[in-house]
Amino acid sequence: MSAIQTSAPDTSLGRPGRVTYLGGRVAEYVVVLFVAVTLNFLLPRALPGGPLKLFGSPEALARLTAEERAQIATEYGFGDPVHVQFFAYLRSVVTLDLGTSLSDGRTVTEAIGEALPWTLLLVGTSIVCTTLIGIALGVIGGLRRSEGKGAGTLIGAIVVDSIPQFWLAMVLIVWFGVKWQVAPTFGATGPDGVTVTGLAQHLVLPVATLTITGIGYIFLYTRSSMLNVLTSEPVQHAHARGIPRGRLVRRHVLRPALLPVHTLIMLDIGFLAAGAIVVETVFAYPGLGRLTFGAIAARDYPLMQGTFLVLTLMVVLMNLLADLTYPLLDPRTRTGGES
Amino acid sequence: MSAATVPEAGARPRRRDLLGRQGRAGAALLALIVGTAAYGFFFLPDGAGKTREAVPYEAPSGAHPLGTDDLGRDLLDQLLVGAGTSLTLAFLVAAVTTVLAAILGGMAGIGPRWLSATIMRGIDVMLVLPELVLFILVATFLGQSFGIRAAILALILWPAPARVLRAAVLTSWSRAHFEAARAMGAGHAWLLARHASYLIGPLLVPVFVRTAMRAIVYDATLSFLGLGDPTVPSWGTTLYWVQVNGVFLSDAWLWWAGPPGLAITLTVVALALVGTSIEDRLNPNLQESR
Amino acid sequence: MTLSVQDITVRYGGKVAVDHVDLEVADGEVVAVVGESGCGKTSLARALAGLLPGSAEVSGRGVLRSDRHPDLDLGAVEDWRGIRGRRIGIVPQGAMSGLSPIHRVEAQLREMLTVHDGTAEPGDLLERVGLTARELHSYSHQLSGGQRQRVAIALALAGDPDLLIADEPTTGLDAVMQGKVLGLIASLGISTLIVSHDMAGLLPYADRFAVMYAGRLAEVVPVTSLHQGRHHPYTAGLLAATPSTDRTVTWASISGSAPPLDDLPEGCRFAPRCPVAADECRTTVPDLRVVGDGAVACHRVEVATDVGYPAVPRAAGTCGDPVLTMSGIQHTYRSRSRTTTALNGVDLTVGRGEIIGLVGESGSGKSTLARIALGLIRPSQGAVTLGKDEVTGSRGRRLRAVQRRVGFIHQDPYDSLHPGMKVAALIAEPLVIAKVPRGEHDGKIRSALAAAGLPESLLGRYPGQLSGGQRQRVSIARALVNDPELLVADEASSMLDVSTRGGIATTLRSVATERGLAVVFVTHDMGEAIQSCDRIVVLRHGRVVEAGACGTISSSPEHEYTAQLLAASHH
Repeated sequence: MSAIQTSAPDTSLGRPGRVTYLGGRVAEYVVVLFVAVTLNFLLPRALPGGPLKLFGSPEALARLTAEERAQIATEYGFGDPVHVQFFAYLRSVVTLDLGTSLSDGRTVTEAIGEALPWTLLLVGTSIVCTTLIGIALGVIGGLRRSEGKGAGTLIGAIVVDSIPQFWLAMVLIVWFGVKWQVAPTFGATGPDGVTVTGLAQHLVLPVATLTITGIGYIFLYTRSSMLNVLTSEPVQHAHARGIPRGRLVRRHVLRPALLPVHTLIMLDIGFLAAGAIVVETVFAYPGLGRLTFGAIAARDYPLMQGTFLVLTLMVVLMNLLADLTYPLLDPRTRTGGES
Repeated sequence: MSAATVPEAGARPRRRDLLGRQGRAGAALLALIVGTAAYGFFFLPDGAGKTREAVPYEAPSGAHPLGTDDLGRDLLDQLLVGAGTSLTLAFLVAAVTTVLAAILGGMAGIGPRWLSATIMRGIDVMLVLPELVLFILVATFLGQSFGIRAAILALILWPAPARVLRAAVLTSWSRAHFEAARAMGAGHAWLLARHASYLIGPLLVPVFVRTAMRAIVYDATLSFLGLGDPTVPSWGTTLYWVQVNGVFLSDAWLWWAGPPGLAITLTVVALALVGTSIEDRLNPNLQESR
Repeated sequence: MTLSVQDITVRYGGKVAVDHVDLEVADGEVVAVVGESGCGKTSLARALAGLLPGSAEVSGRGVLRSDRHPDLDLGAVEDWRGIRGRRIGIVPQGAMSGLSPIHRVEAQLREMLTVHDGTAEPGDLLERVGLTARELHSYSHQLSGGQRQRVAIALALAGDPDLLIADEPTTGLDAVMQGKVLGLIASLGISTLIVSHDMAGLLPYADRFAVMYAGRLAEVVPVTSLHQGRHHPYTAGLLAATPSTDRTVTWASISGSAPPLDDLPEGCRFAPRCPVAADECRTTVPDLRVVGDGAVACHRVEVATDVGYPAVPRAAGTCGDPVLTMSGIQHTYRSRSRTTTALNGVDLTVGRGEIIGLVGESGSGKSTLARIALGLIRPSQGAVTLGKDEVTGSRGRRLRAVQRRVGFIHQDPYDSLHPGMKVAALIAEPLVIAKVPRGEHDGKIRSALAAAGLPESLLGRYPGQLSGGQRQRVSIARALVNDPELLVADEASSMLDVSTRGGIATTLRSVATERGLAVVFVTHDMGEAIQSCDRIVVLRHGRVVEAGACGTISSSPEHEYTAQLLAASHH
């Protein structure tokens, strides 16, 4: 799903590696978050037909009586002036009282609370797999490329990165689920409830889908970063000083090469919850992505706003976390110093 | 001091080879796919892939090399016509996005401070919003016609390349020949037309190519989720019907879902090969290890 | 004899970069391999350390001797582990940016000690290079350029090597620091090979010089006999081309530029540029033969005692009305983290036909001042006028109209010319921008080309096909083409080979005199300013430290800092 970008791009919100004023950065994120929340408030209201039209299907809407409409409007405050609605919305965001889902009557907080752990399980597992495999291959690919080899792995990574996620999910379902019946293709748990083996089995195919489609990106990025560092002056000089190759790679190449990868992965984690929407839908995995898609499809407007809020929050948080952890890894971004 | 820095007096400078072998392979593959799409567009009858031509669920045969779908429509026709739809949308979105990104990224790079700050904060916010979710949301509420899909994609996809281009503009603006030209009293228009085009022009190709890749995949995903236009054949739409009809359970899967998926993959691979090689060539750090 | 190599030859593809070079370094001796870019000196040094890329072919014999290790046959080395860092210590080129950014100095020193079985303590190593144990805990980015260079030397010393190879160890350092670093290397007492383009700068520190030209040794000479006896004309040229801070010593330049490796002349490779070359020089390759204490490869060494290289002309002494007036210039750079005052109350006036030297080290604000004069930077305070027009108050179209009356020569000859434009188009660019009628272009271009000292045959070339000196002359022609009133040359010769610097200064002087141009000549080299300017303004930390006529400043500087700068570039 993710587009390949081989030349190290600037992926975080600001400039990674320049985190001199953390307070300022946090303030910047608060502003971004505020704007995002505001957009979240405006977006459904700005869509054609007005908010009432968003209630249920058009057919259901047509059946509503004028009183019912008025009642819904009062209940959800649609009749109020926009700024009143906005403050009410802000208050609900802060208190996490996000209203009640229109499709199944649960509170939005409840629905999200139920879905979030599944997404975290799915996304967490696949991030671990993607990261480990992608970085390992990327490091090897970078080292081989610096020796003039390894064009094949690059093509392989490009191909893997090009496969559409939903199609790969279908292929996996057909072969592993239907033909060979080695892994379940539906849901997160088996008939006997939550068991470790059941959980693991149900994770296999969705995680495989996310991992396979995610590896290429990490691989290419790591490889490019490795090449950048391998040709950098500090490494060339260490080589000239007689540092043996193995030690050179371990001590002088890996850490600087993986610094940008760290930022990339942090941001990826933030987006993967949103990116899992397709996989969760195809595999009927009861996570946040499926909840979001369901909310949009059912035009369940409070639930939609809630899931959006959580998805955006995850991105901002991971951005912030990436910025906060970067100086711990790169001494250049720490100001002052001990000397 | 090394031989590499000795100017090659007398030698003609080599033409800039931005593609390389790998990129040329990608370009050739892309040309082949575009050719196929063009064939589907110009030589197939109007209703190809949309009308019933045989018995539903027919296995591949001479008349229908990829068989037929649940409504007896020819699947090869769908693939060929679908190529046209998918590629047109991808290239249209890529073109619009590239222009948008170039204009906004350029303005953020050389415009007055307030404009730059506004655009950059806008990009920051856009990048925090999950693209796919936004895409699904807007498509759900605004409708699913070709034009709307293309417009939404372009509006959602511009921020990332705009930031890349802004960085490129800033870098090139600090180049010595820019400074020399500015000291001559050259205006922005001259700098852009004469100096920036040379440096930033080649960067637009990867931006275009990458956006096209994402557009193809996003659009197919949307169609697959049932948010496309089910009446117009496209690769994603064919896969949507596969899902709806539960074709997983039979061998028809192989000729029904296989070709459009492979077509998407191949197209994206072709685009990625072109994009990756150009980016590799424009990255000075990688030149030395070449 | 620590090092003795014979017949070292380095080939890249078909090109011979180093051509049968013999070299010896005695115990404790500091030998400097000098020459201009492309002469093969770096290839030679890298060959000795096994650091050439795989595409290079190396042949020749060499032995590294020491009383602590067995003799090492350098020609037979397959695996350089245990040799580089331990027997041969390397101070690589560009050490400023070559330290590990993520390890503290102590960790880097310890690593070298561990890898190469060194016995010293990290703190002692630092003390040996003039640093203190305080720097042990620093990261590279917390150190100054000079400190980093010292750490790089300490790293090379960690393995207690028999031979030290330092490749351009002063690149990127200010003049004062250059002397200190070279002095440090010379005082270590280790057999050392220094590779440098700056022969004059090494005079106080090297014991012997190996002068290379176009891949061959031109001369090998002990420093003691450098100022007496007979020498290779190229050696004499290199020394004469280095500007002295003494006005009584003339500054000269060698015409032309070093030949490219794939187009080497027959016979003596220096013959096309040599003022005393005879027919024999153009046909027969001269052998290196013993002359006095050294060895010279020259057929004409007997007549070459007084080589007449063209001298850089001095001022005519006439100075017209002021063209550029800058008063009370103050400028601060603001970034998110801090504000830096680049200039603090600077006044400057430049008259017609006058060359003003703006001298200062990096961070003095000289480049900022030049850019303010060009209207590229708007100063925080102060006024700039060109003729009767105000530069500081103008914006947009009006500013650009004023800018068209100023020519600019950028420091970087490689980046300041658009790589995709031919010379003709490059020179015509100011005319096109100023909308000068097409019909006038040809004449103006030809006259500018002649004034810059370029043949018209270059008009159809791309910058990539020109040498650095030629590129800079294209820059000058471009700056002159629209008949400017003021010329701003920002370190215009700092990236050029020493042999061509005088030529650029000569050209600037002639356009100042003939066209009545006012010239602002920005430089970090005190000698260059004294030799080529009429007046000098010394900048330090954004303030004018001293201003006056070249002769006065050269003979009796008032400010201590000026004296320091003079001493640093005194050769």
